[in-house]
Amino acid sequence: MAKTYDFLFKLLLIGDSGVGKTCVLFRFSEDAFNSTFISTIGIDFKIRTIELDGKKIKLQIWDTAGQERFRTITTAYYRGAMGIMLVYDITNDKSFENIKNWIRNIEEHASSDVEKMVLGNKCDMEDRRLVSKERGTQLATEYGIKFMETSAKASINVEEAFFTLARDIKLKMDKKLEQSSPQASTAIHVTQQPKQSRGFFRCTIL
Amino acid sequence: MDDLIEDGKNNKWVMCKFCESKILRPSTASYEERELFLPFMQKKKDLAGTEHKGETLKRHWLVADMFAFENVGFSMTVDSIKYLACADCERGPIGWHDINDKTKFYIAVERVEHRQITQ
Ligand SMILES: Nc1nc2c(ncn2[C@@H]2O[C@H](COP(=O)(O)OP(=O)(O)OP(=O)(O)O)[C@@H](O)[C@H]2O)c(=O)[nH]1
Ligand SMILES: [Mg+2]
Ligand SMILES: [Zn+2]
Repeated sequence: MAKTYDFLFKLLLIGDSGVGKTCVLFRFSEDAFNSTFISTIGIDFKIRTIELDGKKIKLQIWDTAGQERFRTITTAYYRGAMGIMLVYDITNDKSFENIKNWIRNIEEHASSDVEKMVLGNKCDMEDRRLVSKERGTQLATEYGIKFMETSAKASINVEEAFFTLARDIKLKMDKKLEQSSPQASTAIHVTQQPKQSRGFFRCTIL
Repeated sequence: MDDLIEDGKNNKWVMCKFCESKILRPSTASYEERELFLPFMQKKKDLAGTEHKGETLKRHWLVADMFAFENVGFSMTVDSIKYLACADCERGPIGWHDINDKTKFYIAVERVEHRQITQ
């Protein structure tokens, strides 16, 4: 069967419990039916299709279970991940401090070229803010990664954040392809096979 | 039903009934009849107050590759089954997948909307 997309990116959401990872993954709905079957068992991952520069991109986005801490998230979990959203809560200083630990964990266990981005979530709660935007920016600069403040509740920057991360992964891949075959770069079509096991790229010259 | 199928495939967009999130593009899924049990989207009680947990549905859209979906959510696994839900409003189950068969992903025809979109 012909593939109906150009790229497939596996993304993970990581961060302390309560920062809003699940809300960022799904549109925040205060009137969510708490009694429904789906909300009781929970969502594991979701598939989203976006378009970037005329290319159709499938995002497979994984949430992390609430109790998981950076100590328990290891290689198996990061396998095949191409992008990671590191989320903290701007009203929770500890969650911000822990971003460094999460980054260390990623460096230890994830692929070295995984694209990262930091999100300071709950930016709608200005009155309860404990982490200034400057501190977020500074941390991200220190690690050379992008940063955005988001609000899952007010739908601020959430979509933009996923687009930014996806675009950065795509740029990185385009660059890699160019290096590996400078002449044919424009005629290369990349597809990642939808395998549950280790992710890999298959290049097909059209 | 006939007005939804063309050459054995869905001839319209498959969308969420509640929020219009796009689930499948036209002609990406084949029509398949199979009895599958899906829990209700909302709790249901009959006049006697007895609670019913779900129903068996027969008409489905079937895709072989999970990345054929435009937007969809996968639930945690319950007895080897992952239920599918709307990626935007989380309402479901709208579909069914047994993790032991990685080539079958079902969307229940009754639980989704079918729409012709010109674009
Ligand atoms: N004001 C505000 N509240 C938010 C926002 N995002 C999430 N919340 C609230 O924060 C709480 C935790 O959100 P979750 O999405 O469950 O947090 P999580 O990171 O998934 O937590 P774990 O699953 O325990 O790891 C919930 O009560 C949400 O309603 C936001 O952008 N603004
Ligand atoms: Mg969560
Ligand atoms: Zn919906």
